[in-house]
Amino acid sequence: MNELVTKGQKLLLVDDETAITDNLAPFLRRSGFEVEVAADGEEALDRVASFQPDVVILDVMMPKIDGREVLRRLRGEGNWTPIILLTQVGEATERAMALEEGADDYLNKPFDPHELVARIRAVLRRMRPGERPLATAAQLTCGELKLDRPRRRVWMGDDELTLTPKAFTLLEYMFTHPDEVLTRERLLDVVWGWDYPAGTRAVDTRVAELRRTLDDEPSEPRYIETVPGAGYRFVGIVDGDR
Amino acid sequence: MSRLKFIGFVFKVLLPLGLGIAGSVILERVIEENLFLHSWMKISTIPWLLGLLCSLGVIGSRRIRSWLKARDEKLKAEIQVGMVEERRRFLRRLDHEMKNPLTAIRAGLANMAESSRQETRSEALDSVNVQVLRLSNLVSDLRKLADLETRQLECISVDVAALLEETLTAAQDLPDASQRQITLTVPQAPWPLSHIAGDWDLLSLAVYNLLDNAVKFTESDDMIEVRAFEDGSSVEIEVAETGQGIPQEDLPHVFEELYRGENARVVPGSGLGLALVRAIVERHNGQVSVRSRAGQGTVFTIRLPVGDVTGLQQQVTDL
Repeated sequence: MNELVTKGQKLLLVDDETAITDNLAPFLRRSGFEVEVAADGEEALDRVASFQPDVVILDVMMPKIDGREVLRRLRGEGNWTPIILLTQVGEATERAMALEEGADDYLNKPFDPHELVARIRAVLRRMRPGERPLATAAQLTCGELKLDRPRRRVWMGDDELTLTPKAFTLLEYMFTHPDEVLTRERLLDVVWGWDYPAGTRAVDTRVAELRRTLDDEPSEPRYIETVPGAGYRFVGIVDGDR
Repeated sequence: MSRLKFIGFVFKVLLPLGLGIAGSVILERVIEENLFLHSWMKISTIPWLLGLLCSLGVIGSRRIRSWLKARDEKLKAEIQVGMVEERRRFLRRLDHEMKNPLTAIRAGLANMAESSRQETRSEALDSVNVQVLRLSNLVSDLRKLADLETRQLECISVDVAALLEETLTAAQDLPDASQRQITLTVPQAPWPLSHIAGDWDLLSLAVYNLLDNAVKFTESDDMIEVRAFEDGSSVEIEVAETGQGIPQEDLPHVFEELYRGENARVVPGSGLGLALVRAIVERHNGQVSVRSRAGQGTVFTIRLPVGDVTGLQQQVTDL
């Protein structure tokens, strides 16, 4: 089924490291994508115009124009082609910045290529052509629940909720990736930037904290649903100030 | 010393002496009778004696200052040499850590390229995969160490007893953990353990790493005891085991990055687990230590200050 979803979808892979593109491009082609490769930011901007990809995989650290600048320019022109950033460091600020500047998702190097394909498919499923991704909205709402991202504050109706910084980051990521099965490992990576053995339990603890604060029943979830054996999914319908 | 400074110095030495002598002469003139403070000391002796003491003080403090400065410089130079040596040692160990998996990968790839037997190829592929994961773990632990230096701690009030319980449950999933007798002892009387201020997840990682080591360096039916105490100002967490012990000469080095003691060479791991423990504990203003006896076992201790949340937050914002 997945093969059908991605059949013929156009993908632009941008990385200056040929060792990576040489191995990754064939892998992505076998996964059903039509792949083109660009080796730096300038070439990437040209290819986006000529190839018109459905999704761009963009390395951050590149000569001439780096990935972040490519992202900024595209978004500046009002081009909302889905972009997945390949980040180098696990720093939380860098990851938050990636989403704020308009990336749809990011993945830390080194990554499992299967994970990249899973992210690409999720991003393509979420995409509404020509529209800004949720990830770039400053204010997000889901029914009564409001998220003010720049101020990092949450309201339920008129009441402000108190969340720890990590719980906020977790909720923010779920909000910007609704209706997507998010594995514990992925959430761990989002909130902590690196995984550790007891970490998946830490995710459960945080989700429980979120549910308590949001008054969300796990058996009848309005917001966070447990997907047995897989992870969590944000089931609320999210709107952003787009 | 410049000429101007020298003149200043001479002036500073001579001025109190001169003033003292002048004072004595004046007193001698003003007080007609010979007033004695003591059987051997005239009142008029006091000013010049004081002046002399001041002058000697000026000379002495100068000596002490230059001595202190020299010592400081020597110390700085020693630290510099130490840092250079530490960096060299780290690179040497890193080189060593990477050499082995890379050699295995190259051999595996050669097997894959040259053998036509499907079985050999898939075996080689598996082994290459394992070695790649090993390198990934090494890189990921290195990143954690670097990240820990700058990372903002999420500072909450941590219930150590609950933290130990949670971490112990997580450690039960370790391979071989079921064959160890793992126990947890936390005081309840006369009052439960104090909370400490810190980052729950990081502290849990530190304890987990100690438990991971304890399981790795023990055998079936060995005992692992996790204990916590409090002495009013700190909470102490101990992870003790009845394993093979760490040789005395290795003990001072076990918290160093990528250090592998005699017993640790054959045990898989990134070589950064204890370095991470130390980094986490030190970010919390705590200390780590280790005691061991050959053939009897080892006990690692984490000591963390009891405290409120604000203190640590202050320190974090200062960083």
